Amino acid sequence: MPQLHFDDGDGTLEMLRDSVAALAAHHPGAASLRARREAGADMDRELWGAMAEAGWTGLMLSEALGGSGLGPREQAVLSEALGRALICEPVAGSAVFLSTLFNGAPDNAEGARLASGLADGSLIVARAWRNGTVQARADGDGFTLSGAVAHVDQAQGATDFLVMGQCEGGPAFFSVPAGISGLGLDLQRSVDGALLGTLRLDGCHVPATGLVIGPDICAPLLERAVAATRLALAAELAGIAAQALQATIDYTTTRIQFGKPIASFQAIQHRLVDMWSDAELAFAAVNNAVEEAEAGEGRAAALAILAAKARAGDAAVSICRRAVHLHGAMGFTDECDIGLFLKRAISLNAMLGQPEELRLAFVNLERAA
Amino acid sequence: MATDWNAVSDDDFRQAFARLVEDCCPPELRFMRKQRPTFDEVAVFYHGLAEAGWLAPTWPVEHGGMGLGPAKHMIYVEEWGRLGGPRIPDHGIGLVGPLLIEHGTEEQKAFHLPRILSGEHVWCQGYSEPNAGSDLASLRTAAVRDGDAFVVNGQKIWTTLAHCANWIFVLVRTSRDEKVRQKGITVLLVDMRSPGVRVRPIANLRGETDFCEVFFDDVRVPAENVVGEIDQGWTVAKSVLGHERIFLGAPTRPEIAMERLEKLARARGAFDDPAFLSRYAKLRLDLYDLGSAFERHARILREGGELGADVSMLKIFTTELYQRITEETLALAGEDARLFDDIATGNDRVDAMNLFLDARAPAIFGGSNEIQRNILAKAVLRLPS
Repeated sequence: MPQLHFDDGDGTLEMLRDSVAALAAHHPGAASLRARREAGADMDRELWGAMAEAGWTGLMLSEALGGSGLGPREQAVLSEALGRALICEPVAGSAVFLSTLFNGAPDNAEGARLASGLADGSLIVARAWRNGTVQARADGDGFTLSGAVAHVDQAQGATDFLVMGQCEGGPAFFSVPAGISGLGLDLQRSVDGALLGTLRLDGCHVPATGLVIGPDICAPLLERAVAATRLALAAELAGIAAQALQATIDYTTTRIQFGKPIASFQAIQHRLVDMWSDAELAFAAVNNAVEEAEAGEGRAAALAILAAKARAGDAAVSICRRAVHLHGAMGFTDECDIGLFLKRAISLNAMLGQPEELRLAFVNLERAA
Repeated sequence: MATDWNAVSDDDFRQAFARLVEDCCPPELRFMRKQRPTFDEVAVFYHGLAEAGWLAPTWPVEHGGMGLGPAKHMIYVEEWGRLGGPRIPDHGIGLVGPLLIEHGTEEQKAFHLPRILSGEHVWCQGYSEPNAGSDLASLRTAAVRDGDAFVVNGQKIWTTLAHCANWIFVLVRTSRDEKVRQKGITVLLVDMRSPGVRVRPIANLRGETDFCEVFFDDVRVPAENVVGEIDQGWTVAKSVLGHERIFLGAPTRPEIAMERLEKLARARGAFDDPAFLSRYAKLRLDLYDLGSAFERHARILREGGELGADVSMLKIFTTELYQRITEETLALAGEDARLFDDIATGNDRVDAMNLFLDARAPAIFGGSNEIQRNILAKAVLRLPS
């Protein structure tokens, strides 16, 4: 069955897979998702704490900042396993994104505080940088931030926000503690059972020490963080695709109609084979992107990551869609887990570029040469 | 002492092969439009490879081959494609040789192998019949024992290059077992100059005659021409398909088609059209990811492993992608898609129709894509029957 293939000389990868399985035994993904949705919460704080304890929130964070300093390979294997287990706390969008930023940020006390809180789970650092704009105006002893950013994960449960603001010199990242004056939050339900926040900043004052990443290095660092996050998302999507396929094989081999398992019918078999084949391609694309990312940060890695996120997103969404269909009427019930896989796939596929956008970015980058 | 090519570095091996192709393959044979040229059309290249000892890459050295393992063999095939070497009639090299080396008698090997290398014997493969295509085990061409010979009656079809071959290896029915249809099939080597053998070429959609019908009418074949055991031909024939199965899934054809699509798109200014760019991007990424998937399987071979049944996935994807790229090229051609001839693009030409028509075939041959899906359903997904 489809999965990532890497050399695992010292057994780290196997350990990561085992550790996800062990945690999922106590916090089954689908049950956690339902509980979170029921509670109207944007995250499961207990689960997040357990994930931090397992070392997953600081996996890529440098050891100097309190993390494990591991690379794309380990992150991909972890993300793949999280996808399979449907553990939906935002490891890619949070841990991977933030770790990449903090690893590249110049030494500063506030950045170190956030990084350490990310790694040990004591802080929830929500990221507000993509859907909207915030203006950052230098004032006497710091900055004044105004604007709004939508689709912020973990916004309700956040202890801190990392907000991208436009300064005179370009974009920069600011640390904004939750609850300060001028901060407002609107919440919407996300398709995968969480809440997405729209963060409003109305003249929020941030001290000079709150400038975590300055405009001098922000743009290239952000590009690096986006690439790392897309790669982790791709691996997670591939994991979702693989599990949705397995669940559908299991269902169709036990569902009896006309006196036979429906998976014995050629019409069903060929659909399952096509789903399997799409999943195989997704894993091949992610494997390739991890290897390119490990080889360096150049154009080859950029292309490979764009391809992997596009391929895995398409594969996960379309495999889950077909999986719902092959579960028959059961697939349309909220009680059946397969719908949760579809919803999670749609959500992750929509993050940081849908496949069409990524493919166009790929050909534009390739043709620019 | 012959060179141990497996021990040579990949780069040196590539360069040696490139030099050889430069030497013995004339320019007019490079990047030929014709998919399956006849033996005479490419004889100079065939003999050139043979003289240099590079004609039979996977045969053991003792039989005049190079003794390449899968890793070097993949480079050999890749370089051949990159250098634009024409396809040679290769049933002797690729199928009969390995078949005899594994299952043949000493006499068969001593007689046939040198004649394959010299080009004296040009082979074709008689498997399919009018009523035995995907369901090959239902074949009916019969061989009946008569003293020291078999008498063969029946018909083969889709026999590639039979019209320029002088030997054919056929699967024939030697007995019937109602329960196991694969039993009772035997591999027979037949001299096509024997009385009663008749060949009729069949024109294909591209207007070429790559394949033929072959009729057997009371053809007497010496019993010593049986390969392996009588009635065990199914197993014998199947055993020669090893790592070569990966080549059915190689991205070569879609790569060629993509090059043509890009050429036509540049000539038509289509890259400025967002609708085209979107469709192009999908195809381009399919090709890129196919490369990643192919690499996964190739790596297994390079590391000394064996291919699993899952390699069929490459065959399905590459052949269907080949079709989709050529379909896009025809769509881009606009009213030029009415042409059977190539489309002129400034100083160059694009064989849009040629490739579109050619792309119909690979989804059918080598086990149709539907058969491949059946295999995957059983052998990889383990679905019930």
